[in-house]
Amino acid sequence: MAATKTRTSSFSRNLPAASSAQSPEIKCGPNGTFFVSSGIPDLDKTLGGGIPLGSLVMVMEDSEAPHHMLLLRNFMSQGLVHKQPLLYASPSKDPRGFLGTLPSPSSPKDDKSRSHDAEQEKGLRIAWQYKKYFDNKQDFSNEFDLRRPLDRHFYTTQHVDCISTHDLPNLAPLQERCTSFLSHFPRSDSNIVCTGRIAIQSLCAPQCENSSMEWEMLSFIRALKSTVRSANAVAIITFPSSLVSPSFCKRWQHLADCLVSVKAIPDEDKELAKLLTGYQDIVGFLNIHKVSRINTQVPAVLEATTLSIKLQKRRYLVLECLNQAPIDGSGGTSYGTSGSCSGSSSKSGSLNF
Amino acid sequence: MADSICRTIRDGALEGEHAPSLTIKDTTASPYGFGVFTHVLSQASTLILAGKSQSRGLVVVAYSRSPSFYLDFLKRSGVDVASSQKWIHILDCYTDPLGWKHQLADSGILPSNSSAGACLFQDVKDINKLQSLILELGSGLVGQGKVRFSVAIDSVTEMLRHVPLSKVAALISDLRSHDQISSIFWLLHSDIHDVRVTTSLEYLSSMVASVESLNQSSDGLSGDLGNLSLLEQNFRRGKFHVRFKRRNGRVRVMNEQFHMEESGIKFTSVTVEDGLVSQGLVPKVLFNLELSEKEKLERARVVLPFEHQGNGKPIQIYDGRRSLAPESMGEVSADTSQSSTEECSNGGGEIIYFRDSDDERPDSDEDPDDDLDI
Repeated sequence: MAATKTRTSSFSRNLPAASSAQSPEIKCGPNGTFFVSSGIPDLDKTLGGGIPLGSLVMVMEDSEAPHHMLLLRNFMSQGLVHKQPLLYASPSKDPRGFLGTLPSPSSPKDDKSRSHDAEQEKGLRIAWQYKKYFDNKQDFSNEFDLRRPLDRHFYTTQHVDCISTHDLPNLAPLQERCTSFLSHFPRSDSNIVCTGRIAIQSLCAPQCENSSMEWEMLSFIRALKSTVRSANAVAIITFPSSLVSPSFCKRWQHLADCLVSVKAIPDEDKELAKLLTGYQDIVGFLNIHKVSRINTQVPAVLEATTLSIKLQKRRYLVLECLNQAPIDGSGGTSYGTSGSCSGSSSKSGSLNF
Repeated sequence: MADSICRTIRDGALEGEHAPSLTIKDTTASPYGFGVFTHVLSQASTLILAGKSQSRGLVVVAYSRSPSFYLDFLKRSGVDVASSQKWIHILDCYTDPLGWKHQLADSGILPSNSSAGACLFQDVKDINKLQSLILELGSGLVGQGKVRFSVAIDSVTEMLRHVPLSKVAALISDLRSHDQISSIFWLLHSDIHDVRVTTSLEYLSSMVASVESLNQSSDGLSGDLGNLSLLEQNFRRGKFHVRFKRRNGRVRVMNEQFHMEESGIKFTSVTVEDGLVSQGLVPKVLFNLELSEKEKLERARVVLPFEHQGNGKPIQIYDGRRSLAPESMGEVSADTSQSSTEECSNGGGEIIYFRDSDDERPDSDEDPDDDLDI
C-alpha cells in the first residue's frame, strides 16, 4: 500500500510537528494530510491509514442489505469516542433514536481477537518510557462491540446534531446546517484543535420528497465536498445506488473522494461456499472503488479491492481479503465489479473506472 | 416459497424493528400476481382467525376489486366471514375513489348506495387521510395497546395513479415503522412503471416475490403456432421467484413453480437451481491453475514437434511442412525412415535435432568456467 512508504522529498510541507503527539485521533499521513479513523481498523489499514481530513466518503448501498449501517455506526461511534462533534442526517423522523444503537468500544479483556498483541507483550518487557507510544497507537482506532450500546454520556454531553431529511421540501436547510457546522472547523496553519464528522444516511431514500430532485442533490453534494475540503472534517454519505438514475449515479461517484460499495450475498449458496473459505461467517462484501488522494497525483493501488464483511462472534466487524480458489480467468479489471446480487431482474451495477 | 412468505408474515415484527413487508410483482407475460396476493391474503386470514399469528386484525386497502369480492373469496377459501367485523376491515377505494359518484348522488343524478362491511374512501389523492384512516381502522379492530394488525394493499399500481411515488414510499415506510403494524404486503404490476418505482418499492420491502413466465420471451407468441396448446398450457404456469432479506444482511433466494387453477393458485417446488448468481459477485482472478476436461484432451493430442509421442512409433520430426492430422502422420511414418537424410517427397529439407539434455554428461565435475582463458 502506498502509504507505508514515507518518502521524504524536498517538497515536504512544514507541518506543525507537535500536532500528532497531542491528539490521538489524528494521525499524520503522507503529503501533508492528516488521517482520521473510520472506526474499522481493517478498513483504515486498507485505505492506507484512515480517512484523510477534508475528504468526502460515499458509500453505495445495496438495497437488499443493511451493511452500510454497520459502516455508519462505527464511523459515528469512533467520532463520539474521540469527542469529535458530529452532524447526523437521516430519512427517519427521529434520527436521535439511532444514536442509541451505536456500538461501544470493546474493552480489551473481552477482545480475544487482538490476543496476538498480548502474546507479543508477554515476551517483551517494554521500558516504561516507551509505553506511551503503544497506548497512542491503540487510541487512534477502536474496535467496536456491536452488541453493547454506547454510553449515553458520549452523545448527550457533546455537540451532536441530528436532522431528519424526511420532510424537507428541498435540500437547502440541510446544506445550511452542514455549512454552519463546518464553519467551526476552519483549516489553518496552526495546530488542529478539533475535527468534525458529518454522516448522512440514505441521501436519496424514496420516502423523502426531495429524492426526485436530482440536480439539487448533485449541487448539494458538490457544495458539501468543497466545504469539507477546506475544513478539518470528514463527511460520509450513503446512498442507495439503484434508486438514482444511472447518469446521476455516475456523477455522484465521480464527486466522491473515497468511494466504497457494499453488497449482499446470497444465503446458502453452494457455489459461493465452494469458492470462498469461511463463507458461513461472511455477511457481505465491501468493494473499494476509489481512495482519497489529496495533495498528490500518485494513484493508490490497493492490494485487494474486495473485502468480505464478517461479524466475529456477532459482535466485532472484521473486514478480510477474500480467500478464494482461482476460477476462470477471462477478463476482470482491477477496479471492476461485475453484476449485482439481484440476479433475476438483471440490474448490473458494474463500475468501470 | 409461498409457505415461507406466509410464515414470515405470521411471525410479524420484532420490537424496535421495521415490520416485514412483501412486494408481489408481476408482468403482462405472466399476470398472476393477483392470484398470489389473494393466496397470501387467505393464508393470513386463516392464521389470524386461528390466533396463530402475531397480528390480530387485517386492513385491506382495496383499489382493484370491490369489497364484496374479497368477502366472497374468503368465504370460498373456507375462511369464516360471519365474524368479519371483528378481524377484517376493507377500505373501499374501488367504488368511488375520487368521489365522483358522491357528487353525482348529491346532485340527485345517481341513487346513493352504501356497501356494508366496508369503509368507503372517496379521496384517494389525500395520502395523509388514507394513512390515518388505515391506522384508525386497524386500532379499531385490535384496540390501542400492544396488539398489532396487518395491512394489505390491493394494488400499489392503482395508488400510484393518484399519488406520486415519494408519498407512497413515505406511507409505506411510516406504516412499517409504526408500533401497531405487524406486517404489510402489496401487489405491483412492474412493467407499467419506471424502473425507479419498482426499485424504490423493493428497497422498502423485506421480501420480493416475482411472478414470471416459464418461457423467457416477452410475449407468449414465439412464432411456433403449431404448439399453441402447449403455449396455452404453459401460460397458466410460471415461475415464482422470491428474495428474502434476512436480518444478518444475506439474501435468501427461492424458486418455485406455480400453476393457476380454478380454485386458486398452487405451488410446486422446483429442483433445478442455478448457480450463476455467485459468479458475478466474486472478482475474477487472472490465472487458472486447473484444466477442464476439454483442455486435458487437447493437451494430450498436441503433437510435440521434436519428441516421440510415447506410442511406440519411430521418432518423427515435424518440419513444419506436413499437416498434423493423425492419419496422414501414419502415412508419413511409413514413408520416412529412421534416418532423416533420405529424400522425401516434399523436396529435400531435413531437420537434425539433438536434444540438449543428451549433451550433458551426468557426472561431469568440470567447471564450465575453466574454459575461459583469462
